[in-house]
Amino acid sequence: MDFNPCMKHQLIRKTVREFAENEIKPHVSLLDKESRFPWEIVERMKPLNFFGLQVPKEYGGAGLDTISYAITIEELSRVSAAMGLCVTVHNSVGIFPILQFGTDEQKKRFVPAMARGDRIGAFCLTEANAGSDAGGVETHAVETQDAFVLNGTKIFVTNGGVCGTVLVFAVSETRDKKKQASVFIVEKECPGFCVGEIEDLCGMRANPVSSLFFEDCRVPKTNVLGQLGQGMKIGLTALDTGRIGIAAQALGIAQAAFESSVSYARERQQFNTPLSKFQTIQNYLAEMATKIDASRLLLYRAAAFKDSRRPFSGEASMAKLHCSATAKDVTDLAVQIHGGYGYSKEYDVERYFRDAKVTQIYEGTSEVQKMVIARTILSQPS
Amino acid sequence: MVSELPWDSRTGTLKRDLAQGMMDPASRRALEAALQIKETQPAYICAITMGPAMAREILHQAMALGADEGVLLSDRRMAGADTFLTSHILARFIQKECQGEYLVMCGTQTSDSETAQVGPQLSEELNIPAITYAGHVEIKDRVVEVHRHVDEFFEILNMDLPGLVTIDLSAYKPRYLALEGVEKAFENPDIRHIDARQLGLDADFNALKDSPTRIMDVYSPTAQKENRVLKGAVKKVVDQLFDDYGKVISSAMGKDLKTHEHDEA
Repeated sequence: MDFNPCMKHQLIRKTVREFAENEIKPHVSLLDKESRFPWEIVERMKPLNFFGLQVPKEYGGAGLDTISYAITIEELSRVSAAMGLCVTVHNSVGIFPILQFGTDEQKKRFVPAMARGDRIGAFCLTEANAGSDAGGVETHAVETQDAFVLNGTKIFVTNGGVCGTVLVFAVSETRDKKKQASVFIVEKECPGFCVGEIEDLCGMRANPVSSLFFEDCRVPKTNVLGQLGQGMKIGLTALDTGRIGIAAQALGIAQAAFESSVSYARERQQFNTPLSKFQTIQNYLAEMATKIDASRLLLYRAAAFKDSRRPFSGEASMAKLHCSATAKDVTDLAVQIHGGYGYSKEYDVERYFRDAKVTQIYEGTSEVQKMVIARTILSQPS
Repeated sequence: MVSELPWDSRTGTLKRDLAQGMMDPASRRALEAALQIKETQPAYICAITMGPAMAREILHQAMALGADEGVLLSDRRMAGADTFLTSHILARFIQKECQGEYLVMCGTQTSDSETAQVGPQLSEELNIPAITYAGHVEIKDRVVEVHRHVDEFFEILNMDLPGLVTIDLSAYKPRYLALEGVEKAFENPDIRHIDARQLGLDADFNALKDSPTRIMDVYSPTAQKENRVLKGAVKKVVDQLFDDYGKVISSAMGKDLKTHEHDEA
């Protein structure tokens, strides 16, 4: 077992870090303050393949492995969790299901523009009465001669305000009147598609999370992803992949908070002594580092399982559960180490603290991750 | 800045394992210049570096950016080479590989020593012309045209091939690496490893011993600035100012100030 990153992964990390530090970092604080999505940064990210990380080269992507993907999201999120979120959601739950379940025609029609970054992807499952319980989805699709007509409202859609191509989870009725869930590929130009107000959220403020309205939204029949009734399977597979991305995002936030804490502890003096000389602060730093390292190992294991085509659902949930808890704990300690300054918007840790919490909620709450992990354990023969 | 790199003051060499595979900022600009030439005309870019095995990463990076080939000159016996022997070793390889019309493009100065010696020395070893501090390089009808800005002059120089240019640190802002390039560079890594024997260096060649340069210490130049507050009557203060700093002020203005002139006026 070799715990050293290979040369390719090191180069990926340096490449993304260099871009994020130079091109995103100077603007992060203002973007958060103004809740503004930085299209100008997206333009600079497009030619570097950030929007087609794991998309095969034939569709215009970078064709990266999943560990490289996780490193990319981690490094983006270390600088801007909101941009890390945009990129991971676009790549994992936006594009990946089309690659995995789409027909060749669908892949050719939708993936290249998404991989170029010309159309940002989103995935909408959550509704006012359905979140963790995907069975409660009320958005419905009615089959007509040439199309499906969608009606319903989706909420808390990441990238909602800037999306070009959306995967919509909706229910329809079979001929024998049974309910079935399916996923529909909806483009923003579809009549009846409408973006709602941008949500006013605690963190990730540079990402335009919004509601999406579907009012008699006519979607061509060729836009049913995979097959009718495959919705639950597509949803679960998409979320498994998405969890690796969110775990990586949480890890990036934790890493940033940790680095700020180490440098602050070295600089800041109290009682004529740097904070880093106090045992309490040393204990905090030790706890943070250990949690981050454990998280990273869990994350890379889940990514490696996915790359080797082994089942990775349980591993992805463990990584997501642990990375998001780490992000919450580490950013909490980071604020504590920074004291009053940590509570001020003058310091980045205040933003890390706000950004971290949601990683325990979206892409399946921590409670749902435990359900998935337990199901994986109990489904194995005794 | 050289003093910010992990430097072993005992041996006077860079602790290369700690300087983890960074492509030198100056080399990145030289590679960028090469890539821009290749965008306008047919070219084959061979990226060459000398260093320990981990320097391969730099070559992968070069290939990810668009170099056609990477060559690693690496041997324990070549370790610790000063600029003189580095130029000598690089020249050995280039002489073996390149015939006819070729252009060697170097960064002006590396971050591990900042001597800016390797480029010019290499051209001497190869017996080819060199232009240093190039701001812009074009190849027109087999002639290299170089624009550069030195000593308050803007020059356009022409040079025959084969030749060598060093790219100024302010020119050719390097592009970011696309992730697709990284993946591609590792798919089919065409990196050649060349050792001392393949270069035809003597059996008893030992760069550390044979290098004529000895580095005693590396440090940043410290600015000799001080703040002084002159107190007292205006006349006294002005006199003191001119007594103490008259020469400095004169040289900064490029004009001979006759101090105490105001006394006589």
